[in-house]
Amino acid sequence: MLELKDVHTYYGNIHALKGVSLTVNQGEIVTLIGSNGAGKSTTLRTIQGINRPRSGTILLEGVALEKLPPHEIAGRGVAQSPEGRLIFPRMTVLENLEMGAYARKNKTGFDDDLARVFSLFPRLKERITQKGGTLSGGEQQMLAMGRALMARPRILLLDEPSMGLSPLLVELIFEIIQNINKEGMTILLVEQNALMALSIANRGYVLQTGEIILSDAAAKLKENEMVRKSYLGIE
Amino acid sequence: MDKNIKSGITFGLIGGFLTFLFGGWSVAVLGGMLGLGLGLSLGSRFERRNPLQIARASFMPALVAAVILVGLSLVQNIFILPALGKARLFDNQVIIANTIGFLVVLLLTIITCAIHGLSERQEGIAKLVLLAIVIITFPFIDKATGLRWSAQVIFALIFVILGLGLNIVVGYAGLLDLGYAAFFAIGAYTTGILSSPQHGIYMNFWLVIWIAAGIAALWGLILGAPTLPLRGDYLAIVTLGFGEMIPVIFRNLTEVTIKEPFTCWILPGITNLFGAKSTLACITFFERQDLTAGEKGISPIGRPSLPFIGEFQSDNPIPWYFLIIVIILLSIFIIRRLRESRLGRAWMAIREDELAASQMGIDPVRTKLAAFAMGATFSGFAGAFYAAYIRGIFPSVFDFSASIIILVIVILGGLGNINGVIVGGLVIMTADRLFLPALKDFLASLLTNTILPSLAGNPVLQAAVKDNANPILYRFLLFGLTLVIMMAVRPEGLIPSAQRRMELHAAEEMAGPVIPEETAKPNAMTVAGKTKAAAKKR
Repeated sequence: MLELKDVHTYYGNIHALKGVSLTVNQGEIVTLIGSNGAGKSTTLRTIQGINRPRSGTILLEGVALEKLPPHEIAGRGVAQSPEGRLIFPRMTVLENLEMGAYARKNKTGFDDDLARVFSLFPRLKERITQKGGTLSGGEQQMLAMGRALMARPRILLLDEPSMGLSPLLVELIFEIIQNINKEGMTILLVEQNALMALSIANRGYVLQTGEIILSDAAAKLKENEMVRKSYLGIE
Repeated sequence: MDKNIKSGITFGLIGGFLTFLFGGWSVAVLGGMLGLGLGLSLGSRFERRNPLQIARASFMPALVAAVILVGLSLVQNIFILPALGKARLFDNQVIIANTIGFLVVLLLTIITCAIHGLSERQEGIAKLVLLAIVIITFPFIDKATGLRWSAQVIFALIFVILGLGLNIVVGYAGLLDLGYAAFFAIGAYTTGILSSPQHGIYMNFWLVIWIAAGIAALWGLILGAPTLPLRGDYLAIVTLGFGEMIPVIFRNLTEVTIKEPFTCWILPGITNLFGAKSTLACITFFERQDLTAGEKGISPIGRPSLPFIGEFQSDNPIPWYFLIIVIILLSIFIIRRLRESRLGRAWMAIREDELAASQMGIDPVRTKLAAFAMGATFSGFAGAFYAAYIRGIFPSVFDFSASIIILVIVILGGLGNINGVIVGGLVIMTADRLFLPALKDFLASLLTNTILPSLAGNPVLQAAVKDNANPILYRFLLFGLTLVIMMAVRPEGLIPSAQRRMELHAAEEMAGPVIPEETAKPNAMTVAGKTKAAAKKR
């Protein structure tokens, strides 16, 4: 479904991604783990077209994305719940969700989608007329994910959904991610919380200073010596 | 003291002191405005219940306001007029005007108040009807009472359209445009060039106004295309530059030559290389044509005409007034529709967060260009009307200060709110065009007849007072002061958009900036806790 081949991305002179290649298949949850500054978010930003790769290709169902501007990539079915959430703070929850469906030419089924999002995130329904900026961190995360789902994407990119949330909320969010996946959504999940990510993902990639150093089934990665030491903190 | 009575006193004092400046019949007209204003502000305070009860409750404040207004108006007649060196007036006219003023305050206050007792829908309709009556009758009342405010009100309404247009750019799309008067100039000059005997072209005004709007929109696109990829401060600086350039260009379009390049330069150039001469005649469209007449400006400019009314005349403001009212209503209709449209929502998203908007599939550059072009279109309408109304256009009218005044109208009125911008435009421009000149005349007469003679013993002070007592000199100082006070006291504007109001309320209620509760906590604890829990499971 989504395929990155030897992608190199730079910030000015800084070589942030040094030939990242990865694939996400239909219906999978693939996780990208790594420490701070490994290039996880850069990978997502590159897929989204916010940072242009200097070389390499990004294919979504065989169509090259790497030369398209962000709004066209979004229009082709790549939706992201971005790092820092980037919800519209002065719009209500409902308006935020409506913006999520903006790229869809066909508005039929909007109400069904809304109902689906509310069944996934009942908290959002309670806050429907509240401004995005006045929500708590966990609610903002839910809103960002719900907004991404409103686009009926082919693939959902999640950037650090656990960031800044309490353990209870992290558990809830990951449960919801699993539920979304069960409904057939393909997900690329970027996480610092490697243990949680690996326990719900099908496969995983380990990113270190801009390079993929390891890739395997999630269950195997969890048992991997190096991963256990560096990312799970288990001796 | 009762809060409502206090409002009555405030409104009465404001209206009363204004009669000092305008005198004559102004007491009746000011009374009408006072009644409407007081009624609206009181009405919203009462709970929704029987209109009769509300009417009864509003009677005392209305009476207080009416007494103060008429009292001050009589003070004007008895004490102020002699001080201004004018004869004391006590004829039938004065008595009639004051009686009407008194009754009008009472009636309008009570009626506008009582409306609030109707159901919400009925109240909306009743307010619209009241507004329509005020708008329609104003120029006739103005004419009958001899106040001659219409001409200045029309001027204010031109700025209302400009404010509405700029509101799209600044209020909806969040792009700070410091050179908006450039599009006003383009609309006005297009009209000037296409319907002035200076160029021998007499296009019908009804056609020209559309052309002017179209050309302004086109220039919106041309100027916007290279600048809109910029953000925030950079965009503001570049629009400032364009705003400065356009008047300079119009000032200098006095010898315009347009030749067809191939026959005039390229072909002769090539043949010249071979030592021959081009045999093709050079095609010249314009040879040293004076397009804008520089500082002298374009004048006269053609006026609109209609069947039955004939050509609009300078000495009769009524047709002009209704024309601009129609343009404003049309603008409001279009802008409302735009706001609710897909494009309107894209503007809001861009204003909120450009990156997030682009991730929703919104093309930021195209959306911003559309805002620029739409904003420019309305200034094109305003420019065409202005040129025809004033009958002459001069480059100095469209300089930086015009851009700033329009921006102040938008911000002071209430960023993003159509009603706010209308009120802002009316308040600022009538203050500028009506209040300040009246205050100047008032002070001048007061000085020459009362104050200066009393200062005769101190010639230095006398000269200083004489030279500095012209409020028009302090026009921009007063503007600036108003802006500073407004931003400190009421930053959301006179009539803020629902969104901004809610925001400010939310901030007050929560007593501090809105920070999502969890983001501040460090993550390490969570991760460690989780890991231990997971380890235990195994």
